[in-house]
Amino acid sequence: MSDVTLAAPPTPSALPEQPVSAHDANSLISMRDIWKTYEMGSEQVHALHGVSFDIPKGEYIAIIGPSGSGKSTLMNLIGCLDTPSKGEYWLNAKNVSLMDDDELARIRNQEVGFVFQTFNLLARATALHNVELPLIYGGIGSSQRHEMAKEALRAVDLSDRITHRPNELSGGQRQRVAIARALVNHPSILLADEPTGALDTHTSMEIMDLFERLHGEGNTIIVVTHEHDIAERAHRVISIRDGLIEKDEKIR
Amino acid sequence: MRLDDIKESALMAFDTLRANKLRSLLTILGVTVGVVTVIFMVSIIQGLNKAFAQQIEALGSNAIWATKFDPSFGHQPTSEEIHRKDLTLEDAEAIRNEAPSVLSVSPIHRKIAETVRYADKQSDTPIVIGATPYYEFTQSSFVDRGRFITDTDMRERSNICVLGIDLVKALFPYEDPIDKELKINGKPFKVVGVMEPLGTFLGQSRDNQVFIPITTFAKYYPGEQPFPEVVFVIIVRPKSRAYVKSAIDEMTDILRRRRRDATGAPSTFGISSQDALLDIYNQLTGATALVLTAISFVALMIGGIGVMNIMLVSVTERTKEIGIRKAVGATRLNILSQFLIEAVVLTAFGGVIGLVLGEVASLLTNKYSPLPAFVPMWAIVVGIGISAAVGIIFGLWPAWKAARLDPIEALRWE
Repeated sequence: MSDVTLAAPPTPSALPEQPVSAHDANSLISMRDIWKTYEMGSEQVHALHGVSFDIPKGEYIAIIGPSGSGKSTLMNLIGCLDTPSKGEYWLNAKNVSLMDDDELARIRNQEVGFVFQTFNLLARATALHNVELPLIYGGIGSSQRHEMAKEALRAVDLSDRITHRPNELSGGQRQRVAIARALVNHPSILLADEPTGALDTHTSMEIMDLFERLHGEGNTIIVVTHEHDIAERAHRVISIRDGLIEKDEKIR
Repeated sequence: MRLDDIKESALMAFDTLRANKLRSLLTILGVTVGVVTVIFMVSIIQGLNKAFAQQIEALGSNAIWATKFDPSFGHQPTSEEIHRKDLTLEDAEAIRNEAPSVLSVSPIHRKIAETVRYADKQSDTPIVIGATPYYEFTQSSFVDRGRFITDTDMRERSNICVLGIDLVKALFPYEDPIDKELKINGKPFKVVGVMEPLGTFLGQSRDNQVFIPITTFAKYYPGEQPFPEVVFVIIVRPKSRAYVKSAIDEMTDILRRRRRDATGAPSTFGISSQDALLDIYNQLTGATALVLTAISFVALMIGGIGVMNIMLVSVTERTKEIGIRKAVGATRLNILSQFLIEAVVLTAFGGVIGLVLGEVASLLTNKYSPLPAFVPMWAIVVGIGISAAVGIIFGLWPAWKAARLDPIEALRWE
């Protein structure tokens, strides 16, 4: 729980009810007064207190903040790995905030493509099988699955590496496999958590170029990072500090 | 659950097996031992059953025996039984005439360990059987060469005999026994026939016997003879297997009446059939099977606990993998079924190895021991079934643990 602020502001219920506008039907992502509270023993710790923003389809956005700012918590919420303690989260016109574990799994499968700092590939599976994984859980038949996975690997220029296992690939190649996996289901959002954190500068730039290309092809991309030069590649930057949005600006 | 899920799970399972060869081997050992026990023991019991059934079958198709003794297995005749009056030829005649379920009746009077001599050769072990012409048909045991006892022999109390094959071998190794004269207990008998070989029953030869007319037997062994050397038996062949029970009932009525057994008092004779023998035998093997089932159960329990232990380790080791799978959309059911299938693959694999080893042990037993051990089809199905069941039962908790993992925590796990 490194991203949790230990400052203890008033609990959500103790705050006066703020006027909250209904979710924007045109937005892909609509967050309304999102709170996330953890129980740490007897203490309540607020990782997020009242975050609201909208992300339209096709945007390239960076969420930036120092360690402990609440940005990882926010990422987990956007990625539907968790639900907010309070507030509404609409993703692609679905109210995620009220979903149970299995509904969240379904949403992650259909709407979210994850890219992680440490790639998080299955070590013993081939690149192709790794990319197929979301399709397996999406219930896609095997021949169509192979085609879609190959197509996704072609999109990240790894057609010649489909039978390689992660330990036979370079860091940049692994991250491209992860990106292919994230995109294979044509999700609503590509959600990257420190995608270049484990890569050298040159490879990082390659990956960021790839993101730019994918954005150009119409994908909605959200990059969570603490590095400013990575954030600056995005078109909009949301800065998080102490569980609140500090700044939300278009930079391009 | 879809086929693809199962395939993905099975692939994952084999992957894990491959990646942890030694550990997997040790894990499935318990299940393997359990299944080997089940399979091998079943094959031995089946072999015993088969051997015994064959032996009993060989005694004569559907034969029923009546003697003055209680036929219970392992029962030693009491002095009361020994001093009962024998069954008689007239009893046999009454059964033949009055029991509608009976096809034929063959009373025999037999004496064990009689001395038979021919020229300079002698045998002290043969059974002398006083028989009637009905013997052949009733027992389904026929003359091979020459002839059997005839009505004329019966009437004239002729000193003729029919030899079992063992006696031919012992006394006439180089010549044809037909029409030769030999001595039974010092009395001269002419050989008129040789019986078909019968083989063995429970390891004892059934061909070491010599048949004489039952009337001739009475001439040489008159009055009450000492037990257990001489026994009078009425062998009955029912119309078919379906008539065994009614034939026994009819015989019981006839014999009770003729022997004046008081109403309500126990019979002063005993009747047994192959079915009764089989029943007794099945009770014995049933008890054995129960003990072996208990042993197999314990082995499978130990195997199952081993599987549970290793699955728990596996879940912990693969927390990150579970996190990844959940992140890309695996539901709790997906994860549960994957780990469950992995456990089942593990135990079924152990079960198959156990099956093969059990089958090999059974084949070796069959080949190098007198026991015709064999593994019946149902045991194979049961063997695989129980090993898979062990996987499900003992894999359920670890799989449930895996399914319940929080994806965020799981992804953070190093």
